[in-house]
Amino acid sequence: MSDRNESDRLQQESTFQRLIRRPEAGSFAVMVVVLVLIAFASNGNAMNALGIKNNLSIISQFGIIATGAALLMIAGEFDLSIGSMIGFAGMSMAMMLKWGLPFGLGEATPFSAFFITLAMTLSLGWLIGTIVVRSGLSSFIVSLGFLFGLRGVTEVTFRLINQSTQISGLQDFKETSFFARLFGGESFGWFYDLAFALGFNLNRRGEQWVTGLDARVVWWMLVVLIAYIILSRTQIGNWIYATGDNKESARANGVPVNRVKVGLFMTTALCATIFAACQVFDTNTADAAKGNLKELEAIAIAVVGGILMTGGFGSVIGVAFGAVTFGLVANAVFYIPWIDGSFYRVFVGAVLLAAVFANERIRKRITGGI
Amino acid sequence: MAEPYVRLENIVKRFGPFTALNGVNLDVHSGEVHALLGDNGAGKSTLIKVMSGVHAPSEGTIYVEGKPTVFNSPRDATVAGIGTVYQDLAINPLMSVTRNFFMGRELYKGPRGLGIMKMGEMNEIAHDEMLKIGIDISDPTQAVGTMSGGQRQTLAIARAIHFGAKVLILDEPTSALGQKQQMGVLKTIKKVRKRGDIAVIFITHNEIHSQLVADRYTFLALGQVIGAGKKDELEHNEIRRLMAGGAEMRDLEQELADI
Ligand SMILES: Nc1ncnc2c1ncn2[C@@H]1O[C@H](COP(=O)(O)OP(=O)(O)OP(=O)(O)O)[C@@H](O)[C@H]1O
Ligand SMILES: [Mg+2]
Repeated sequence: MSDRNESDRLQQESTFQRLIRRPEAGSFAVMVVVLVLIAFASNGNAMNALGIKNNLSIISQFGIIATGAALLMIAGEFDLSIGSMIGFAGMSMAMMLKWGLPFGLGEATPFSAFFITLAMTLSLGWLIGTIVVRSGLSSFIVSLGFLFGLRGVTEVTFRLINQSTQISGLQDFKETSFFARLFGGESFGWFYDLAFALGFNLNRRGEQWVTGLDARVVWWMLVVLIAYIILSRTQIGNWIYATGDNKESARANGVPVNRVKVGLFMTTALCATIFAACQVFDTNTADAAKGNLKELEAIAIAVVGGILMTGGFGSVIGVAFGAVTFGLVANAVFYIPWIDGSFYRVFVGAVLLAAVFANERIRKRITGGI
Repeated sequence: MAEPYVRLENIVKRFGPFTALNGVNLDVHSGEVHALLGDNGAGKSTLIKVMSGVHAPSEGTIYVEGKPTVFNSPRDATVAGIGTVYQDLAINPLMSVTRNFFMGRELYKGPRGLGIMKMGEMNEIAHDEMLKIGIDISDPTQAVGTMSGGQRQTLAIARAIHFGAKVLILDEPTSALGQKQQMGVLKTIKKVRKRGDIAVIFITHNEIHSQLVADRYTFLALGQVIGAGKKDELEHNEIRRLMAGGAEMRDLEQELADI
């Protein structure tokens, strides 16, 4: 009899082996491949000063909502109302900015328009979550109800007050309001200034070409950073994983399962509102159709980022890689003239299926199926 | 006789039209191992779920240290010192050993909820507590889904003990284990009993196991108590008869022979 113990049975892994087993590994690999392919196919145009700005703009849009959707999916629920929530929030803000605060409370500022809207969207998120946990119904159906309902409310409100389902030509609040600049302004100007000083970032006349990235890039980074810390480092993070993995055992151990879920439905509503605010203050427009299908893209990105459809597993960083991948492909048509824009959807479909199979393998490996 | 730590009085539990428990009484004393026995579906798991706050009883009262107590959630029961190792272990396969060990009771710095977890300290405690009752897990960050049944069992028991259970409820802790690990669990039960301040409720279908460690027995059949008593008050044959749900062993043997 040797004094062999349990620890001897686990082989020491190299750093590389550890890395490729991380949940982000797959989405990282896909991102790198897509990045390289698009850089080559576009002769580098997708990665020049303007390309980076435009790519990051859509990547951030995807990233902001996909992060919220991913946290919710890890806790075992879906939110199909994200797209309609974006439309609703955009309508709400633009409407207040154009027609004034409700109940004749006077002119709206970007600040008041945003926070009144946020109060409404958070309440809606709370309502969706509460219906889901109280009724025990599938969040798929409950949030599907809100997908239709909220879009309808948005259109009706637009027509009643504004006659048209679009608002354009709002005053450019970025000029006057710091708060509006936070959402619609620019960021990382120093980076582009620096690149210019070093002799890059020139237009045809040799002047500085691009002045900065969208402000939403900063929002995306913030959302990712905060979500990462919460999910992997804090107590709530452990509750989120526990809720999605096996909610009965989580509950039996004292995890406040229902509050976790309701909180995460409010989080997706928050992400949708940030998305909408960036759009409204950037373009000074709103449209009842904004955000259409965004909930499905968010879910697809989360899955490609390694989130299990069944919950309980996944990483925020993987989802960030997924957002980069989707953003690059969605924009590819602008840099690669010979490509048909609809290939974006072909790509989404194929990558989504591949990711689901890969994720299922991971789940089986962990739960002992392989 | 000292006051029982937990006393159940006339507990009735109905699931819709189905009466799972029909007026059950149970005394649980500190420093004793109380074997809860009975056939499949007798209501053992239901009874301990009532005791641990998972189900609210339809009728009847739970006394903790003599005071009538209502558990609105498992957390209430945990606070009252009732630690449960469920048959399904209440363990999450996709999460790591440490994350399971501290699920719902994480160690953290900062405000509740948003506090940062002390991962290093938690890893160490989980490893040490499991080592104390006999299993040296190699890597506390390993997913529980990849562990053996015995290791999962150990995790669940170590967790309940660590969180200060005054009553440790073990629902068939030996059923999924190999011989050596079964004995390990029995040893653990003995160790816990020796401390003197913890009551153990031990559910099993194994007569030998119950005789090895139990001080007191309660037998359930069809949701009712059909026999109870201290070990020295019960005859061996009586125990066997009651374990079979009240049927005479000889009759069962006869029935088998007739086939
Ligand atoms: N949530 C529930 N809803 C309806 N019926 C239930 C529920 N939980 C248990 N029961 C029923 O109550 C009865 C007792 O079940 P219980 O799990 O307590 O049995 P048990 O004594 O633990 O059996 P075993 O030895 O097989 O674990 C069973 O008939 C079971 O079907
Ligand atoms: Mg049972």
